[in-house]
Amino acid sequence: MKYVGKSIPRIDREKVAGDAEYAYDFTLPGMVYAKLVAAPYAHAKILKVKYDEALKVPGVLAVFTGADFPFKVGIYAADRDVLAREKVLYYGHPVAAVVAETLEAAEKAAELIEVEYEPLPPVLDALEAMKPDAPLVHEKLHEYKHAPFIYPKPGTNIATYLKLRKGNIEEGFSKADVVVENTYYEPLISQGYLENWVGIARVKSDGTVEIWSSHQSPFAVRNLLATSLGLPIHKVVVHHMYLGGGFGGKAGLLLEHIPVLFSMKLGGRPVRLELNREENSFYMAQRAGYYFKMKTGATKDGKLVAHWGEYILDAGAYADYTVNIARSVGLKPFGPFEIEHVHVDSYAVYTNKVPTTAFRGFGLMEVLFAAERQMDLLAKKLGMDPVEFRLKNVLVPGKSLTHTQERLREDAGDPAGAIREAARLIEWGKPPEQPKEPWKFRGKGFAAFWKGPVQPSNAAASAIVKLNDDGSVDVLVGTGEMGQGTITALAQIVAEELGIPVEKIRIAPERRTDMVAYTWQTVGSRGLFSDGQALIRALEDLKSQIRKIAAQVFRVFEDQIEIRDGKACVVGEPWECISLAEMALGYMYPNGNAIGGPLIGRGSHVPVRNTIPDPETGKSVPAPFYTFGAGAVEVEVDLISGRVKVLKAVMVLDTPAINPMLVAGQVYGGTVMGINIALIEELKFDENGRLLNPNFTEYKVARAGDIPDEMIFKTLGVGQKDAPYGAKGVGELTMLPWPAAVANAIANAIGVELYELPMKPDKIIEEVKKQRPELLEKVKEALKIKG
Amino acid sequence: MAVSKSVIVFHTLLPEFEYFRPKTLQEALELLDKYQGDAKVMAGGTGLLFFMRLRWMQAKYVIDIKGIKELHTIKYEEGKGLTVGATVTLSELFENEIVKNKYPILWDGIRQLADMHIRNRATLVGNLCFGMPSADTAPALLTLKAKLNVVSVNGTRTIELKDFFKGEGKTALKPNEMVTSVFIPEPPEGAKGRYLKFVRTADDGPIMGIAVLVANPRDPAKRIVRIAFSNVVSTPIIIDEVEELFKQDKPLGELAEEAIKLIKSKVTPKSDVRGSRELREHLMEYGTRYLLKTLIEG
Ligand SMILES: Cc1cc2nc3c(=O)[nH]c(=O)nc-3n(C[C@H](O)[C@H](O)[C@H](O)COP(=O)(O)OP(=O)(O)OC[C@H]3O[C@@H](n4cnc5c(N)ncnc54)[C@H](O)[C@@H]3O)c2cc1C
Repeated sequence: MKYVGKSIPRIDREKVAGDAEYAYDFTLPGMVYAKLVAAPYAHAKILKVKYDEALKVPGVLAVFTGADFPFKVGIYAADRDVLAREKVLYYGHPVAAVVAETLEAAEKAAELIEVEYEPLPPVLDALEAMKPDAPLVHEKLHEYKHAPFIYPKPGTNIATYLKLRKGNIEEGFSKADVVVENTYYEPLISQGYLENWVGIARVKSDGTVEIWSSHQSPFAVRNLLATSLGLPIHKVVVHHMYLGGGFGGKAGLLLEHIPVLFSMKLGGRPVRLELNREENSFYMAQRAGYYFKMKTGATKDGKLVAHWGEYILDAGAYADYTVNIARSVGLKPFGPFEIEHVHVDSYAVYTNKVPTTAFRGFGLMEVLFAAERQMDLLAKKLGMDPVEFRLKNVLVPGKSLTHTQERLREDAGDPAGAIREAARLIEWGKPPEQPKEPWKFRGKGFAAFWKGPVQPSNAAASAIVKLNDDGSVDVLVGTGEMGQGTITALAQIVAEELGIPVEKIRIAPERRTDMVAYTWQTVGSRGLFSDGQALIRALEDLKSQIRKIAAQVFRVFEDQIEIRDGKACVVGEPWECISLAEMALGYMYPNGNAIGGPLIGRGSHVPVRNTIPDPETGKSVPAPFYTFGAGAVEVEVDLISGRVKVLKAVMVLDTPAINPMLVAGQVYGGTVMGINIALIEELKFDENGRLLNPNFTEYKVARAGDIPDEMIFKTLGVGQKDAPYGAKGVGELTMLPWPAAVANAIANAIGVELYELPMKPDKIIEEVKKQRPELLEKVKEALKIKG
Repeated sequence: MAVSKSVIVFHTLLPEFEYFRPKTLQEALELLDKYQGDAKVMAGGTGLLFFMRLRWMQAKYVIDIKGIKELHTIKYEEGKGLTVGATVTLSELFENEIVKNKYPILWDGIRQLADMHIRNRATLVGNLCFGMPSADTAPALLTLKAKLNVVSVNGTRTIELKDFFKGEGKTALKPNEMVTSVFIPEPPEGAKGRYLKFVRTADDGPIMGIAVLVANPRDPAKRIVRIAFSNVVSTPIIIDEVEELFKQDKPLGELAEEAIKLIKSKVTPKSDVRGSRELREHLMEYGTRYLLKTLIEG
């Protein structure tokens, strides 16, 4: 192959040249500015909003409060007020908004708004929120509209739950010789993308609503905006531009409805709502917090037999995609292993904290932290090597039943191969060389992983390919470009199929929902798999039109035409060709007769044979593919600083790569992100529920200096037959094993078992004091001054 | 981030202020005197502007001193010390051979402060006048017994750095005063020193930091040991009694243990978003041990 499988540089190089356009750069003539103001209580009744002073500020056009928008919006459940009505549900909850000619005027007026509250007791912890006497975040849950597969429990804080049942759990544990039972905790974190959210909306005189915003999935924004506001789909036009990062935090509908509604109230004037970093932390949904209670059993010869779990997600004040993540972790409640008896209940629970939503991995990194710790702890109890233990239980394509009782297709991938290769690359079994400083300790750790897209069983994609006058090609797809590189990989597929260089292909960075091909969302590592399949079908369609014309011209059958190097040639006579340019707009014979006309290929994709989970057992085929892999690290724990440094990180993915360099980018990025989440990231709240670190001064994302010394990755090239060139998704996958692998490595380095993230210096020192106080004595001894 | 009455406004824009860029010190001092507490001096602005956006600092008038030539000086007098003017950036000091060779403990602090982009604008004097407990250059300067040269329309005075910090964001400066330079005496003969900064990620502000300066450890008569910290309490601090303690003619191992005990009895670390009190207690103890050992033995 000439283009597929090659490390071709990204086609979105405008980004480094500095002329890529992001939604944040976008302005419209006559645009006015909206500013939200927030409540300083985690939970309080709103008694009165006063804003006459704000209205007097020159340039102010309007002040809005919750009362102006007496309805709720939302993704799977309509649980969100446009602006808080009756109650504020978290510290930082928007209670009112100003719209003014300038941002200066809007900010000045915002300060003059006064609100009176009656504080209510907040509920700030998900376990507390589950208790029967807990304060209710949403008293009127029974009135909320929600998707049929979401099960809110009115009268409680439960936003949804999922039941997974496989086999018989009592029977499973009766067979177990060893059992490991633990509770794991992972705090709320931020997706930490660079581009703060922005939305610019206007309403045209014919009722068309237009919005430019910072989002991942233009068609999801269109659908959710239209349904939330009761608009016909074709009257909503969503403009997608380059996205400065999303990591799940910009999936679905974000705050688009706000500028749209304001514009509607202001006679259609373009309204811009731009968030700064602090606002982004309070107004945009963050990643949920997690409690995992797990009990896992195995026989003494190392066979997993039972897994019980209760998973509780802290969804914050609004549950957005977190309700679906509760489903995701419920349906994939453990690593890529076969267990006969599984019983898991998964809940998303409302609390008086910032709202939460999707994050890269959709819950899998989080559940795998707990599950892959369980695996190591079980191996320890069994006296077995953890890699060997994993290999003994790993899913076997064509044979094993997953936790949702799906028999894996025989070309599903190579989970065992990934585990073996990662073990080889980290030199598993060879103890790490210990540093000469006696306060530093090294250890290796391992974790396996898997994931498939979490999406509706009919999540569709489509593609349109247009052949241009000179044989170049315009490709229309709906998938967004947010750094993951999908459009480059798609261009490589076009190049390969038509035999033309990548330079002759354009996939514009902008998307307009009324002008590009539909795709459900840019999430779940599904872009290349879904849009790629649609694209291949579109190219097939185009190629059959090309063959038809060439067959007519050369008077041969269509199957005697082959397409190579941008030409259609007679098979066996490569000198008998017509170039694609000659037929792009219709082929013309020397006498002027023309045939064909402009050539356009179209193709579609829906997942095949996926099913909706059974509400009682979760039994289903939930995803069109799984990518399998394994990660391993060598870490160094410093008992003076309490810091953990990852010296070496190894990742193996079973899939083929359309572009190894792009996969490398994902692996490096995912590794640095996953390790940083393992070690330091958390949104911190005080006892009143106030978020303490809403910007990057105190919310610490990784810097260049935090990149591991050595990162090694490998793809195994085991493809799934219906995937484009066999390639399955990798974007989220590259982050999944790190918290577990790092925790397992820390345990191997210093003999300290950790059950909570982040594994920050505070935690390391605290746990060493509890579990291995003699280590600190040794360090003290080593630091004694001689003489 | 300002809680105003009963709503919070997270500001994108700086508040309105009047901006001055005087060419002479006299002009700057007159402006400061005229506006008193309503005016703020700006050097690099890396602290001031960030805090003003969040409404953690207020200023109706901002007096940018970068146009005053005489403040942009580094002067070294052999045997006496180094004078660093108020507009000298941390990057300039990082590149300076005298700082690097004669004041390695300070250079160590500068090296670890934020990242290159910030250091290109931020000043040493600004780091001190910001009044933050987390000032990364303060511990080194405390062990070096630095002094600040302060002026106002009423005249000049000198403030010992150890008397300068008055609580988070507060200094001994009067509203009409500014610092023209910091004077750093020649380090004691044979002195070595290091600043150990504990961070959460690369380029982070400190969870806390420790500066240890050691001279002639094996000779009790000439031995000098000084220890200072950033970000353990509400100001940078030096533990004065440490120097006395190390004057005793006892084995160094024993003195180090006594010093640790002394520090623990004098300092109760704070808990905040960067780290718990327990972590800081550990870092203070083990970090100090580590620095003492490396500087005394190494
Ligand atoms: C991203 C980032 C990272 C940072 N990381 C660190 C870090 O790791 N360690 C650290 O210590 N700091 C850090 N800081 C804080 C800040 O950059 C430093 O304290 C810097 O040295 C301040 O110097 P400046 O010249 O920019 O001061 P300015 O911002 O100009 O001034 C700071 C304060 O001092 C006053 N001031 C300045 N000069 C004078 C003067 N001559 N006389 C009287 N008052 C004066 C100002 O009025 C103001 O109140 C960081 C800041 C940012 C934005």
